[in-house]
Amino acid sequence: MAKVSVLNVAVLENPSPFHSPFRFEISFECSEALADDLEWKIIYVGSAESEEFDQILDSVLVGPVPAGRHMFIFQADAPNPSLIPETDAVGVTVVLITCTYHGQEFIRVGYYVNNEYLTPELREHPPLKPDFSQLQRNILASNPRVTRFHINWDNTTDRLEAVENQAPALGCGAPLSCTPVKGLGLPGCIPGLLPENSMDCI
Amino acid sequence: MKLLKPTWVNHNGKPIFSVDIHPDGTKFATGGQGQDSGKVVIWNMSPVLQEDDEKDENIPKMLCQMDNHLACVNCVRWSNSGMYLASGGDDKLIMVWKRATYIGPSTVFGSSGKLANVEQWRCVSILRSHSGDVMDVAWSPHDAWLASCSVDNTVVIWNAVKFPEILATLRGHSGLVKGLTWDPVGKYIASQADDRSLKVWRTLDWQLETSITKPFDECGGTTHVLRLSWSPDGHYLVSAHAMNNSGPTAQIIEREGWKTNMDFVGHRKAVTVVKFNPKIFKKKQKNGSSAKPSCPYCCCAVGSKDRSLSVWLTCLKRPLVVIHELFDKSIMDISWTLNGLGILVCSMDGSVAFLDFSQDELGDPLSEEEKSRIHQSTYGKSLAIMTEAQLSTAVIENPEMLKYQRRQQQQQLDQKSTTARETGSTASVAGVVNGESLEDIRKNLLKKQVETRTADGRRRITPLCIAQLDTGDFSTAFFNSIPLSGSLVGTMLSSQSSPQLLPLDSSTPNSFGASKPSIEPVAAAGTRPAGDSVSKDSVNATSTPAASSPSVLTTPSKIEPMKAFDSRFTERSKATPGAPALTSVTPTAVERLKEQNLVKELRPRDLLESSSDSDEKVPVTKPSSLSKRKLELEVETVEKKKKGRPRKDSRLMPVSLSVQSPAALTAEKDTMCLSVPAPALKLPMPGPQRAFTLQVSSDPSMYIEVENEVTAVGGVKLSRLKCNREGKEWETVLTSRILTAAGSWDVHRQVVVVKEESLHSILAGSDMTVSQILLTQHGIPVMNLSDGKAYCFNPSLSTWNLVSDKQDSLAQCADFRSSLPPQDAMLCSGPLAIVQGRATTSGRQAARLFSVPHVVQQETTLAYLESQVAAALTLQSSHEYRHWLLLYARYLVNEGFEYRLREICKDLLGPVHYSTGSQWESTVVGLRKRELLKELLPVIGQNLRFQRLFTECQEQLDILRDK
Repeated sequence: MAKVSVLNVAVLENPSPFHSPFRFEISFECSEALADDLEWKIIYVGSAESEEFDQILDSVLVGPVPAGRHMFIFQADAPNPSLIPETDAVGVTVVLITCTYHGQEFIRVGYYVNNEYLTPELREHPPLKPDFSQLQRNILASNPRVTRFHINWDNTTDRLEAVENQAPALGCGAPLSCTPVKGLGLPGCIPGLLPENSMDCI
Repeated sequence: MKLLKPTWVNHNGKPIFSVDIHPDGTKFATGGQGQDSGKVVIWNMSPVLQEDDEKDENIPKMLCQMDNHLACVNCVRWSNSGMYLASGGDDKLIMVWKRATYIGPSTVFGSSGKLANVEQWRCVSILRSHSGDVMDVAWSPHDAWLASCSVDNTVVIWNAVKFPEILATLRGHSGLVKGLTWDPVGKYIASQADDRSLKVWRTLDWQLETSITKPFDECGGTTHVLRLSWSPDGHYLVSAHAMNNSGPTAQIIEREGWKTNMDFVGHRKAVTVVKFNPKIFKKKQKNGSSAKPSCPYCCCAVGSKDRSLSVWLTCLKRPLVVIHELFDKSIMDISWTLNGLGILVCSMDGSVAFLDFSQDELGDPLSEEEKSRIHQSTYGKSLAIMTEAQLSTAVIENPEMLKYQRRQQQQQLDQKSTTARETGSTASVAGVVNGESLEDIRKNLLKKQVETRTADGRRRITPLCIAQLDTGDFSTAFFNSIPLSGSLVGTMLSSQSSPQLLPLDSSTPNSFGASKPSIEPVAAAGTRPAGDSVSKDSVNATSTPAASSPSVLTTPSKIEPMKAFDSRFTERSKATPGAPALTSVTPTAVERLKEQNLVKELRPRDLLESSSDSDEKVPVTKPSSLSKRKLELEVETVEKKKKGRPRKDSRLMPVSLSVQSPAALTAEKDTMCLSVPAPALKLPMPGPQRAFTLQVSSDPSMYIEVENEVTAVGGVKLSRLKCNREGKEWETVLTSRILTAAGSWDVHRQVVVVKEESLHSILAGSDMTVSQILLTQHGIPVMNLSDGKAYCFNPSLSTWNLVSDKQDSLAQCADFRSSLPPQDAMLCSGPLAIVQGRATTSGRQAARLFSVPHVVQQETTLAYLESQVAAALTLQSSHEYRHWLLLYARYLVNEGFEYRLREICKDLLGPVHYSTGSQWESTVVGLRKRELLKELLPVIGQNLRFQRLFTECQEQLDILRDK
């Protein structure tokens, strides 16, 4: 069962200038004390066309997480403008908040973000090279898109099973071995990082 | 008879495996398959019963749905009290649900508000023991036990009073166990399995009573479930799928000698479920006919794979009613309403049917008294199921006791009404933490937020707890400050492998975007089935690495951003912890740099806000560069805070010396702040600080000077410690190689309490340092060591006594939450609380983590509480002594330890008649013992078992008062 459910994400200081930090107030509920920290990430999608332009604005660990309702503020710096394709600077893009436990993503909250110039003149005649200092960022806070994934919350036994179920090629599955896993290209090789479908076959 | 198929009761077309009506008849639960998980839904009953309610938009139909089961739910069962719901499923788990009253209706974040849960049902226990799918669960007649059976061939009996304790595991079946039923008087439990046997087990010793195989010889394991049932009068047990002359039957087994002479015949395929009506009936008295008492009879519903349902009365040779073609697929479960006049039937086809009978059809139901009279006349009073619950029927012998019991009930009622009120105004309930409104918390959250760094330099936020769950079973605070190696491994491995993932991911948005018709972004948000095809897509992506980034780049036309984004919302990222994998190399480097800057920026705040949690992680004994920097910063902050303190030397040492003498009370706040950063508290510091001064109170004339390395006697460095108060000075010399020795003066009384007491006994043989020394109001010196232990000096014995140990496993295992008075939970301040710090709140996880048996936990809790009482006593903290004593007593009362309770009472009461030889003192740490006992009495009065003790104490106190 999902041990953590997100109750709300409040977008703070919205709208705001492009260069000001993102600030989300996240409240979540945990049904059972977690042994490890949650990892939260803010990902700014630089361009709709390719994940190449994604920027991970920040990632934090959140813990310890006992059973109960909790909240925290997740603040991250504005994206680096130089990494955003010029054609995508103005207009609609997306910011994602994801949370992982044991390296498995179990929730993804997405918001549409609209970047536009404040003054009508600039809107009418946008400069060829985007002027980020004049851009205003507006997050469509009322319409979060939430996707939940089922993950394996109990690391102990299931993880062992998972390791056993892996191809024998992964003899190095022992903890702390940093040998890059070649050929498989699957995060599932990492203990506790099973993709959902392989859980079914356990 | 009326028949209704409420179409709105469905799991979106997925099969429903189980149905159960709540004992109060207002709601019912269904269990089955959900979208990609198991699903339990609680429905409102009134729209089923009344057409008006069904049409009324304001009456909710679905009350709550829980998709917490990982796989299909095979069985849902309400406890007889209606308080709990148990569900078992293919994920091998049994979950026990309880309604959470403190929160009102809520929506699921991100959903369009339609899926509001009107009631909140929360999983209070997860029972793990089965190694295979759980097929059936059953509550014992008095809710003392919960039984579950599984395809692992076992039946497990759980202690329903103390989940997750297992009372017994019944082994003996050699096939999948698919049905369970309790004997209504609690003497037996019966199970039916695919091994062609039905076994009856005794509850007295959990051993096999009998195994019945003959009627099942011809059976094949063809049904999903085998839900058998016991008649409410206890005389008959009716099995699911049995065979008689190669025809499917439901076998009737008599309790007397387990004879198998009768069966219900007529179904064309295997019987999946049998369910007795909970009522016993007698013939409807016809007007005018003689009031001849007819023999009471039972009523039974039988469901089968042939999709038909039959209802039988044990007084009739033929079924009362048979309904064919009720469903498209096999019947899976049946549940009667408690009044015995309605049944709900569910089917594999995902629909539910409701049958409503009239009393004319079934007969007059016997009242519960009549039913229990039948039970008693047949079986006598069963001892097997005498539980705590039945203690309430014990005779109250003392009017005072009665008074207390009444008061208690009244309090409970009050509490209930307040919680009811609270649920009305939802927001306000969870919205207040420690007297602060949620709004206030929000405003200050960023400032207050505790942020630390992990060993690998990552930011770590400690979330603010805004509400604890009202689930008594949960350990509420489990602070694990040591990152488990598992996550670290994950981090390292994933950062290694993530570059390979990079091209794979980028293919997915492309394919998505192209195939999607252009819809408005918001509309798309609603229509897209969240996460539906995600796993598949990600698999595709990973298996076809050829379709990588080049294809994206070559896509000529600019794809509409909305559509392209669409996949981003639902696509699980493969980026794993710690690795900004999806960004290209340059940003990574930038990130790193940024992060490093952050480290610098954040450090000061880090220090000020860090709880002792983080302090523990900093290597205290090693003066690394990190801690040095910390120290410097610390000095600055301290200087800022404490301006105007007399300085003798150029540099101040931030040694926290929280002195709680009356004179220092004004300074208490400041010193408390300072007592947090532990690493800075090494006294005396080797290195730069040659001498420093300590301010003891706000009164500038009182301070302590410490000079390091004053003299060297035989290579041993010594420190001089001076205490100055109003011009008077005392001096002592400390040996700094042992790193400490304490001189402590009761400055207020100007009496030397401790002088040159050797600390060798405590510090010998280890390189621990003293992290903090403080004086209590009563002049008891307390010393914290760097290993988390705290000692206090006992003047009468001239010894150092251990009062607190952070590593104490007792404190970690003790669980006395149930004994805490609701209002002042943990809110007891005093020297002991200061010394132990967070220790009091940090434990309690043990039972869950290590599944300690309840007995062991009882012992540890007792030991812990006793040591707390003793520690409070040595610290002479009367307030805390009272707090812990009452807590201890309350725990004894709750857990029923009479001997120890009696011991306490005896000591508190003392001899009633004065005698000279008596050693008894009437006060303890300034509290009158008999007053304490008076406070204790209502606590004792809460458990009827102790009424004799209560009466004794009460009477003797009365005698004493009259004197």
